[in-house]
Amino acid sequence: MGAGVKGWPGSTTAWGLALLMVLCLAGSVQAESVTLQVIPPVVEISSFYQGCEVTVTGTLPAGHQAVLEVVGPFRQEHLMRKGRRGMLWMNVGEVTVSGAPSLYLVQASAANLLAGSSPWGFRALIQHLTLAGQVQEKEKAEFQEQFLELKKSERLYAASPQGLKISPAGNGRLKVTGKFWLPAKVKPDTYKVCLTAVLKGQAVDRQCTALPIQMVGFPALIMSLAYQHSAIYGIIAIVIAILTGGIMGYLFKGGGGH
Amino acid sequence: MLMSLYLPISGSANNILLLFGLGGAVGFLSGLFGVGGGFLMTPLLIMAGIPSTVAAASDSNQIVAASTSGTYAHYRLGNVDFKMGLFLLVGGVVGGTLGVQLIKVLRAMGNADFVIKITYVVMLGVIGSYMFVESLQSMRQKVPEARPAGPSRPSVYTRLIQALPWQIKFEKSGVTLSALLPLILGTFVGVLAAIMGVGGGFIMVPVMVYLLRMPMHVVVGTSLFQILFTCINVTFMQSISNHTVDLVLALILLLGSTVGAQFGARVSRRLKGDHLKILLASIVLIVMVQMLVGLIWPPHLLLGYKGGH
Repeated sequence: MGAGVKGWPGSTTAWGLALLMVLCLAGSVQAESVTLQVIPPVVEISSFYQGCEVTVTGTLPAGHQAVLEVVGPFRQEHLMRKGRRGMLWMNVGEVTVSGAPSLYLVQASAANLLAGSSPWGFRALIQHLTLAGQVQEKEKAEFQEQFLELKKSERLYAASPQGLKISPAGNGRLKVTGKFWLPAKVKPDTYKVCLTAVLKGQAVDRQCTALPIQMVGFPALIMSLAYQHSAIYGIIAIVIAILTGGIMGYLFKGGGGH
Repeated sequence: MLMSLYLPISGSANNILLLFGLGGAVGFLSGLFGVGGGFLMTPLLIMAGIPSTVAAASDSNQIVAASTSGTYAHYRLGNVDFKMGLFLLVGGVVGGTLGVQLIKVLRAMGNADFVIKITYVVMLGVIGSYMFVESLQSMRQKVPEARPAGPSRPSVYTRLIQALPWQIKFEKSGVTLSALLPLILGTFVGVLAAIMGVGGGFIMVPVMVYLLRMPMHVVVGTSLFQILFTCINVTFMQSISNHTVDLVLALILLLGSTVGAQFGARVSRRLKGDHLKILLASIVLIVMVQMLVGLIWPPHLLLGYKGGH
């Protein structure tokens, strides 16, 4: 499967072999090494967070193309499939999707790098999705596509085939620049940003770095209260609501009465 | 853009003015009609991108504020029948508990979602249509028809409620009823409210008007009083069970809704009972049609997250 979508469950051995092949093919790894820098190195979700633009810069050996992937942790997704019963559409059964990252953003320096049987992009990702539950074998391809569409509608999956810009950097190397948008829906966790150098459609080197996303300030306090002190949180929510309602009622009485 | 605020429980960034406006609009209706507004606010929040479970739970929290403000406003106007409200509340708590158990059984059977939506469509359709037709007839009847001489024969329903034991006089509402009636009706509304995940005002108001025969302006204040306690219970239960109450979202909504509820209460005094009823009937029918279309129209995607409506 090449160097793309690194970290798929159940593919550790295959990935190890592929990596070995890549290293062999690469010849001098030192000479062709990829560098990578992510700005900001840590994304903080504060009260006014509404998504965040992340800039990736790096260098490649001359003559190479590049693919950038941002991959979230892999979790089982529990979904409901909709179906028609008589005239009405309703949830008709549970579908569990395994092998899907919570976030998958991919960019390339050339459109053909994400097309066809490329090891990067949605076609590669879809091959690793496992569907279980109330879905028949013949329906799986359709529901894999539906899953992709669901994630794309939330901007958690996105592909930009020519989103990476390559320019000469001197010393026989190329400078790579890419920007991607982390949507507001992204959950606090540690994400992986990987830049792959590609030569003739094959991965020759890959550099990855962690991108932690963490909640800070007031949102972090609210989450802590809601999950660790839920009874107190509930009482606070009720008391604030009653006080606000009472105060507003009192203020309106003073402001002109009824 | 400082107008956007991150909502941690919802896990999304939303425009503050939009949320404040939604709260204000629904609060206005709450003060006007004495309904909690849950049946309107929850779908509107979902349309604004809030997950349905968070929308429903946070909505309950904001209804606590709107109901406090509305109950206070109507209390000062002398429009709250506390005696009737307490009987309805006891019934509502019993019904709510039964309804939660019923939902558990339905979920185990695998189609709670369908039952909830169909219940919405049927209840909204029946109540909205009845209120609309009745109010329209009442408004058209400008000159009262000459009544036949002699006392008219009471209806079967009137004779039935007069035959029930434990008759109590509810001075504020000016009616004498069996205590069993508000208890039973409160239980029925409580069951429906639990299934539908709302305060139940839009069911309670017609029940009070048509079955308990309370005057419209007392109905509004008493309904808000009952909704206040129902939603306090729901907010607490959602906080400890599902962690779906987004306090930040609720705060924005409740600021909008408490302001809106005050304006609603003022406007309600200027409108006639029939006008109030026909307005509420129209809104109920619009929501019903929107839900029905949602059930009939093919969805954009055949997959959705578990836990959504």
